[in-house]
This record gives sequence, structure tokens and C-alpha cells, in this order.
Amino acid sequence: MTRHGLHRGLRVFWWLTLLFLYLPLAVVVLYSFNASNSAAHFTGVSLRWYYRLMGNEALLAALGNSLLLAVVSSLIALLLGSLVGYGMFHHRWRRLGWLVVLIYLPLVLPDIVFGIAEMAFFVQVERLTGWLSPGLGTMVIAHVSFQIPFVALIVYSRLVGLDPSLFEAAKDLYASPWQRARHFLVPTLRPALISGAFLSFTLSLDDFVISFFTAGPESATLPIYIWGAIRKGVSPEINAIATLMIAAVVLVAVASLLLGRQRAGRG
Amino acid sequence: MSETSTASARPRQDLTNRAPAAARPEAAIALEGLHKRFGSDAVALDGVDLTIREGEFFTLLGPSGCGKTTLLRILAGLESPDAGRLTLGGRDITQVPAHQRSVNTVFQSYALFPHLSVRDNLAFGLRMQGVSKPERESRVAEIARFIQLGGLIERRVDQLSGGQRQRIALARALVCEPDVLLLDEPLSALDAGLRGQLQVELKRVQARLGMTFLFVTHDQQEAMVMSDRIAVLDGGSIQQVGSPKEIYERPANAFVARFMGHDNLFPILARDGVRLNTGLGALTVEPPEAELSETSDEDSLLLIRPETVDLRPLDQAGANCLPARVTDCLYRGSHAEYRLAVGDAELQAMINNRGRQLPSVGDRVCVSVAAEDLVTLADEGGT
Repeated sequence: MTRHGLHRGLRVFWWLTLLFLYLPLAVVVLYSFNASNSAAHFTGVSLRWYYRLMGNEALLAALGNSLLLAVVSSLIALLLGSLVGYGMFHHRWRRLGWLVVLIYLPLVLPDIVFGIAEMAFFVQVERLTGWLSPGLGTMVIAHVSFQIPFVALIVYSRLVGLDPSLFEAAKDLYASPWQRARHFLVPTLRPALISGAFLSFTLSLDDFVISFFTAGPESATLPIYIWGAIRKGVSPEINAIATLMIAAVVLVAVASLLLGRQRAGRG
Repeated sequence: MSETSTASARPRQDLTNRAPAAARPEAAIALEGLHKRFGSDAVALDGVDLTIREGEFFTLLGPSGCGKTTLLRILAGLESPDAGRLTLGGRDITQVPAHQRSVNTVFQSYALFPHLSVRDNLAFGLRMQGVSKPERESRVAEIARFIQLGGLIERRVDQLSGGQRQRIALARALVCEPDVLLLDEPLSALDAGLRGQLQVELKRVQARLGMTFLFVTHDQQEAMVMSDRIAVLDGGSIQQVGSPKEIYERPANAFVARFMGHDNLFPILARDGVRLNTGLGALTVEPPEAELSETSDEDSLLLIRPETVDLRPLDQAGANCLPARVTDCLYRGSHAEYRLAVGDAELQAMINNRGRQLPSVGDRVCVSVAAEDLVTLADEGGT
């Protein structure tokens, strides 16, 4: 009887958790279709906020900046981060604990500290050399520096999980160092590289604090634009942007799920 | 038949039609004074000298930590020795990196590439050597026929059982036609039935190819079944090299004897020519052969193999007969295992069941051993 009661309790808890997670999202989606601009009353279904978005050039520019920043920074972070991950794996027997801590520190450092530090650094560099004035360039550098540890960690854990004999088998089967990289390491690491790139892309797209401190006047990203717009009150337009982003995330998630299933089913 | 050791420059040979061993005497392995230590105090190899003949099935046998795997890895080029020289077919390869040695390995974990199909795994070595695609395909097909892979070649690596992986790993190494094939305990992960079957298959493959196989194992039964010659290692040095028969019947020291499963070792208390006095009683051995006579003074142990012991009624006393009492008997059908109290020592005996009356516990019997079956050996290297 108590066991039955426990099961019911857990089930209720489960539904409450789901509700807690998704109800706010549902409200945003619902009000993005609101005919009036009230945030409190739903007066009828309309697509007017979506039409408004299409004509909002500042918003489209911010979206373009976000995507450009996310793509460029993830590609650079993928290259550098996987080299760091491989280096950590290759020299894992040396006493490199302090170096590993340094590499992982940005993971736990509060974004605001990281953002202010980056900003102060770029200001100094600009004052001394005239380079690195705030803009997409500084944002790319800042994003790459917080993305690297994530990519490095993913690549490193994949390498540690591999049978060590595989590296030796590649050597034994006449592969030169470059051939080992091309025909063994990269294909074996492909899932880790793909998820590292996706994670970097998402982190960059999502980031507000660090972007805010390193952005220039022309380089507002979508989160910065939304933050600016919300200061004038929550507009249903924001709900429409949010709904589009939710839809995009769901599409990407479903696509990656289907892709993974297809790969698993391929004979 | 000019065969250089550089893998990529070797002329194409039909795998199943290789020249007989006698025609290629140059491809033997010679190890001279190999030393290897890990860290500051762990000695893995302590001065190993060894010559492996062309076309031989050679086994490195020893307990874990004896240095056998280190030796194999040095041959593969996966470790480098601290001191010593390594030649393959007369060419010094001590400094040649692994990917330039005409040596291939079957790893204990098989190490099949998970991102490749079985077919691409088999072709990997050839592809890295720059062998053309048509030739790769024909050689992969040839080895798949030879190892009888059948439909396995179309599978993915994660769809294979342990025994299947083992055969793919073997085929992947063989298709490169190395001068030497190294096998690092390749059967240890398999169950007993499959193991026996693959032992026979490996032996058959080696005999048909005439390729030099260097096999590493800790299993003395496996070593005896498969090998032309065995080297027994302990503590980083070679204890004995010889045929399975020599190693089993004439172990060089107590370590080799115990490792081959012999428990009947008795200290020699006194010695007068061929007359020995032991805790069992007085026994006569064959006169030592000329080559052994030098060491015979140091031989301090007597080995009696259980299967050479005969039990007779007490009244049939004769030469090398010792009175004994049966303390324990295990009936195993084809044979029976006995424990006997002889003098102030315990002796084990294995008696074949040939239909005659077997003594039972408590019986007084006469233990009889032929002089030529008795072996004296040194106690050095013992445990």
C-alpha cells in the first residue's frame, strides 16, 4: 500500500516538474499569437507580431550577428579545443594537473567575471596598440575562449574511453603520424567533434553576459537586442522571437535524434 | 627472392604460396642484450638474448609481469629498449619506428577499428602502405577465403562475437604479409572450447604460411600444444629455451619445473655419483650426460613427474622401488591421482586406468620410477 502511494507520489512529482519546465514556454508561445499587445489578456489569434518581426531590420541584423558569431567562434573553438583535448590525452601521464585546472577554470568562473575581465583586457590592448576595438572580432575571441574547455573536455573523454591498443594498432598497421590523424583519430573522434561543435554553437548563441561586455556599437547579438527591447516593456514581438527560437531548437533536436537513429540503423 | 625489410618496398608475393623457410633464412629475429626498465626500479627486461628462427612458431611463456609482453612490444616497435640490439633478417631495426617495421601484431583486445567495417579494417594496413585499390581488394578477398571469414566481411565490427573478432584481427595482420607475426595472448579472452578450436586453427595457418609467429601466453598447456620452441621467462630474464618436450621433461630449474605444473620436487640431501639420497629414500639416476656434468654439482633438486611413477605390490621390490602408503586417491576415469607418503615426504602420482586393480587409500605399495625418468635440476630462480 505504501509502495503504491510512493509510486503515485513520484508520478505527481514527475508531472509537476514537466509543468514547471514547460508552462512558461507555453505561455510565451501562446501570447506570440495574441491579437492585442496586452501581456495579460489573450484576445484572439493573429500572426501580426510575426509580420512585424520580418520588417524589423535591427532585429534581423542582430540575428545575423548572432549566427555569424556562433559559426565562426565554434569552428575556431573546435580546432583549438580538440588540439587541447588531444594534448591533454597524449601527455596524461605527466603531472599536468595545474594546467588542466587552468583550462577548466572558465567552466566554473561566473560569466560576469569572465566578461568584465575580457572587456578590461580588450580596452587595455586597444589603448596600447589600437587593435581589438570592441566589435564582432573581440566577441569571437571571448566566445572561443569560453568554448575551448567544453570541446577539449568532450574530445579528451572520448579519447580516454578508447581502447589504448587502437592507437598502437594504427601504428602497427603502417600508418605514419599524419595518416594516423587522418585515417584513425579524426574518424574515430567524429561524434565527439560534432557534439563539441554543436555545444559551442549553442553556448555562443545563448550567451548574453560575455557578449554584452565585449560587444561594440554595431555588433549587438540577438540576446543583446532582446535585452534592449525588453527594457521598454515586454512586447509580443519578443514572444514571437522566443517562439521561433523554441521551434528552431526543437527542429535541431529532432533532426539530430533522427540522424543518430539513422546512423545506428545503418548496416 | 630478394626481400627487404621495408614494408612498402617489398615485392608482392602470393600469400599462400610463400617461399619455404629454407629459401628465406635472412628473416630470423635476433635479440642481443635487451634491457628495459619502467620508472626507476621496475625491471621489465634484464639482459635478454634470443634468436628466433625463420618460419618458427615461437612462444614466450611466463607469469604476468615476467617481461614477455614488454619483449613483444619492443619487437613491434611500441616500446624502445634502454639497451640492446634488435635485428630482423640481419637488419638492425632497433631505431626503426613501428609503422616502418615489417611486423604485425594481433592484440589481446583485438583492437579492431570501430569506425570501419570489417572489410575496411582488413584493408587498413595495405591502404596505409599505398597499395592500389584493386590489389587491396584482391588481397583482402584472398585472406578472407584463407581464414574462411565468409559473410563476416560484410559485418560491422560491433556485430561480431569474441571468436569472430579474433579471426578478423588475425586476418588484418596476415594480409600485410609481415616477416613476423606477433600474437599477444590472443586467445585469453575466449572460453575453453573456442580456445582449443582456435589453437588448432592458428597452428594450421602458421604451418601453411611458413611465417614466423611469435606468440605470448601465460598458459603452459597452450604453449606446449602450439609451439615449435618455447622461451620461459621470469623476472625479465630467460630461464630456458627449448622444444615443448625439453621444457616439460627436462626443466632447467625449479621455476621452470613449477611453472610447467610439476609439484614433485625434492631436495637432494646427499649425492654419490648416480646414487641420490632424498627425503623419499635412496634413488639411482642415469649418469649425467657430458654437457650436463658441469652443472650437476649445483643440481640440488630431484624432479619426479607424476605420470612416470608406477605403483606395484609391496612384494615386487626392485631397483628404484620405495615403500609407500596411499594417503589420498582421486578417481578421474581415464586415470587416478594419488598422494603417497614416502619416507618423510609426500609424492604425487598419476596412474593410467588400464583395467587392473588400482590401490586404494591406506594400501601399502611400492613406488617404482625408472632411472631415465628422474631429472635433477638447480634450485635457482625458484619461488
